Amino acid sequence: MKNLKKGKKKNWRMRIVALIGFCAVLSIVIQVDAGVSESGVKCRVEIDRAVLPAGGAQKAVVKITLDAPPPPEKSMRPAVNLAIVLDRSGSMAGQKLERAKDAAIEALRHLGPMDMFSVVVYDHNVSTVVSAQHATNIEWIEGRIRQIRSGGNTALFGGVSQGAAEVRKNLDGNYVHRIILLSDGIANVGPSSPEDLGRLGAALIKEGISVTTVGVGTDYNEDLMTRLSQNSDGNTYFVESSRDLPRIFTAELGDVLSVVAKKVHLIIECPNGVKPLNIIGREGRIKGRFVELSLNQLYGSQEKYALIEVEIPVGKSGEKKDIAYVNVSYENPFTQKKETSSGRVYARFSKDRIKVKKSTNIAVQREYYFNLNAISQERAISLSDEGKKNEAVSELKRSANKLKEIGQEHNDEELLKRAEEMEIQAGQIEKQGMTKKYRKVLRTDSYQMKNQQMSK
Amino acid sequence: MKRRSIIIFWLLLLMPTLVVGAAAFKLLRNEQRRINQEVRLSAQDRAHAIGDSLQLTVEAVEDGLTEALKRIPIEKLEDILISWEERNPLVRNSFIWNQKVGLQKQKPGSYTTSEERRFILRYSSLISGRIPWKNSGAEEEQTGLVENQGRRQKKIRRQKLVERARQTAGEYQSSGGDFKEASRESAGWIPWFEANNLYILGWVRKESGGLVYGVELEVMTLLSRLITDFPLTEALSEGMVYAIIDGNGKVLHQAGKAGLKTGTRPDITVSLAPSLPHWQVAVYFIDGTMMTRSGRGFIVLSGILLAIFIVAIVLGGSLLMWQAHNNLKDARQKTSFVSSVSHELKTPLTSIHMYAELLSTDRIKNPDKKKHYLKVIVTESQRLTRLVNNVLDFSRLEQGSKKYHLEKLDMAVFLCETIKAHSLRIHKAGLVLKENIPDKNIIVETDRDAMEQVLLNLLDNAIKYASEGKELSITLKVRKEYCELQVVDRGPGVPFAHRESIFKKFHRVDDSLTAGKPGSGLGLSISRRLLRDLGGDLLYRLREGGGSCFIVQIPFN
Repeated sequence: MKNLKKGKKKNWRMRIVALIGFCAVLSIVIQVDAGVSESGVKCRVEIDRAVLPAGGAQKAVVKITLDAPPPPEKSMRPAVNLAIVLDRSGSMAGQKLERAKDAAIEALRHLGPMDMFSVVVYDHNVSTVVSAQHATNIEWIEGRIRQIRSGGNTALFGGVSQGAAEVRKNLDGNYVHRIILLSDGIANVGPSSPEDLGRLGAALIKEGISVTTVGVGTDYNEDLMTRLSQNSDGNTYFVESSRDLPRIFTAELGDVLSVVAKKVHLIIECPNGVKPLNIIGREGRIKGRFVELSLNQLYGSQEKYALIEVEIPVGKSGEKKDIAYVNVSYENPFTQKKETSSGRVYARFSKDRIKVKKSTNIAVQREYYFNLNAISQERAISLSDEGKKNEAVSELKRSANKLKEIGQEHNDEELLKRAEEMEIQAGQIEKQGMTKKYRKVLRTDSYQMKNQQMSK
Repeated sequence: MKRRSIIIFWLLLLMPTLVVGAAAFKLLRNEQRRINQEVRLSAQDRAHAIGDSLQLTVEAVEDGLTEALKRIPIEKLEDILISWEERNPLVRNSFIWNQKVGLQKQKPGSYTTSEERRFILRYSSLISGRIPWKNSGAEEEQTGLVENQGRRQKKIRRQKLVERARQTAGEYQSSGGDFKEASRESAGWIPWFEANNLYILGWVRKESGGLVYGVELEVMTLLSRLITDFPLTEALSEGMVYAIIDGNGKVLHQAGKAGLKTGTRPDITVSLAPSLPHWQVAVYFIDGTMMTRSGRGFIVLSGILLAIFIVAIVLGGSLLMWQAHNNLKDARQKTSFVSSVSHELKTPLTSIHMYAELLSTDRIKNPDKKKHYLKVIVTESQRLTRLVNNVLDFSRLEQGSKKYHLEKLDMAVFLCETIKAHSLRIHKAGLVLKENIPDKNIIVETDRDAMEQVLLNLLDNAIKYASEGKELSITLKVRKEYCELQVVDRGPGVPFAHRESIFKKFHRVDDSLTAGKPGSGLGLSISRRLLRDLGGDLLYRLREGGGSCFIVQIPFN
């Protein structure tokens, strides 16, 4: 009986210890304060290692993840203000232009009467085929699109400008503003450098207009197209065969029609002593202890993140230190109200190396190295452009090795798979050189990774 | 008609026509030049209007931003400028500069964005104080601008754009304080070039403290807005392209139905300085033509009408001349015919008259002589009959009233009989007759009188013109569908140029050979027409070794 009682007491004690242990583990694992909003965008802030080595200054990576909720089923989705800008230069003649028209009509059919729709075409001239109007008179609009014929050169800047002018007609309305640009050639009329088009994109995002670029074939200028998308927070696609165009347009429209947050603004504040060093993969502003980032929109059920490299001062073993506080503000397109979400992350310090290693957050590490790999891809393109093919291949191989090393260290399949893909890509480039296709694949991959573009 | 007359006629016709044509073409060219000049002036005016409109847009943006800059309260300066950078698409960068400290908002080495780093590098000479803050244009933004009435009115139309530029400053207007106070400040815009690219920096200087702050315009946004203000292609004439070009001649935007080839030089340029230095509005006339479609249509139509006019005059004149020439020829032939026929008629009549008179006086007692005289009268009257028959037949053929009596005719027998009847004449003419007539019946269905007339005409011609050849051969051959009669002599033959003309009415080979011989010029013409009416033909072949060969084709049916 005594033994039985002793046994029962021991059991209780074990249960209490287990409960405490579980709580402790839970407190380590969940060192993140989730966003306050239940139905809105959730903000998760994580650090690449929850326990940092004590006794020295070090760099760490903070990942701020925005979890967009799925679009509410009962509410009516936000209206879309869409301008399709089609390249009708001579090189588009034939199947390409026909498929592009099909794609534009496909996009039109996905819209509802509350949406605005316009079509601008350009060769050396720019003309508005369908001026901004409600997507109601479908047959007439289809007829107008079908009448588009191929022409001469490529005034891409003018086309986007005119598309923006059409979107701007309804800028004050409660719309998700979007331009879809399709081109298959080198812009040769008007400003045509990636820098110039990037500036245009940067200006358009200030008006809440994003430009999604679709490059067809292997002759378009991918640098220009991705820069335009990147600076305006749009998506970018590389379509080798024009047959895929309707599918791509549908995918893109799927994103546009599911916008759940607009004008997203992140302010990351680091406490005294913690210094933000670098923003990985995104354009933003670092000002002292503050980092500011903007996104034009979040799509339903989408996860977007930002990676910030920070410098953390010396910490004592057992010390707990706040690393970053994050405030997210955005416009809810369903209610047209400003909403906020916030998060914070801290780290503990320990002299125990095993503890430090065990605390590694592989999800953060993975995204960090994926983004570094995207930067390596861009560097490889630059090296190849300078005629340094071997250095470009070495750069890609180096990046693949790093991915492999980290993947093996943490036994992460995704990292290993990516490393393998990169090795294959490097091998192909080594064998065949940086062909137009590989260059486009690298550029688009790199952008889609940095932008966390899901649909490819 | 003599050659000289023809030349004079042609000259009289051609000279005035060419003079009129040349004068008309000159007038057309002048008209074309005038239209071109008008089109050029109109394009120039339009380019100026576009240039003014673009400059006003830029000035409106600059004025709006300057005004908004002046209204910013100093204590909120940095925050407001950063918010402009983030929200105003017309603002690329902003800055706060102090003479003592240099840049306040961005500090070299501690920039907050990559764009700021480039900004610092770009304006290093301005930031370091090597270049003073001074407006590069003639216009200094002091207390109010001096504007002419026209520009002021246009500016009012641009008010909306000013509002757009002020947009970000709107929320600070009420707190910005007194504009009069602001107007004491100096301000300006500096166009800046780096790597051949245009940047525009706007600045405001506070009188106290030497503080300078301002914004850098987003030139690409500005261009993007200017493009949408540019004329539409549909509104422009064909063959004309309007464009905005930068200092390197690079086309920044173009409108017009035609494409521009690389290196094409503009025909008209209008500078966009001082707002956009080195930028120009350019007009290109494609293919060197300035014509509008209607203008070109007018010139082309006039040219065609003029060409038709000249061709019509020349053709009409030629036709008239040809007609006159034919009439003259006909008149001559008729005169010659009347003269020939009269002579032909007179000769046998004279003989008949003379012998008849002798016989009537009973002074001729010798019966042989009487007989001879009567024979002459008979022969001459036969000759007269043949001549009259020819003239009558010609008349009937001309009128289309000639009637044929078709009958079965044995050509061999007919030929023998006819030759026999005229053998004496042939013999007297000194011709040796050779007959090659098959000894068989060759039946054709034809008009006997017509055949006789054809044969007599050919024999008469041989007697008249080929008697010196001493040889006359008559051959009858049977072909597949017709029988062929060849009348061949060793006379002088027909000259090449007359070989077809001899079958034309009234035609006579006008040389020494025929000049001395009487004739109406109707025999061969009548013969051919008779034969053709009967389904046959009459042809001429040159005989080898000299002489003529007339071929008579007579169909069996």
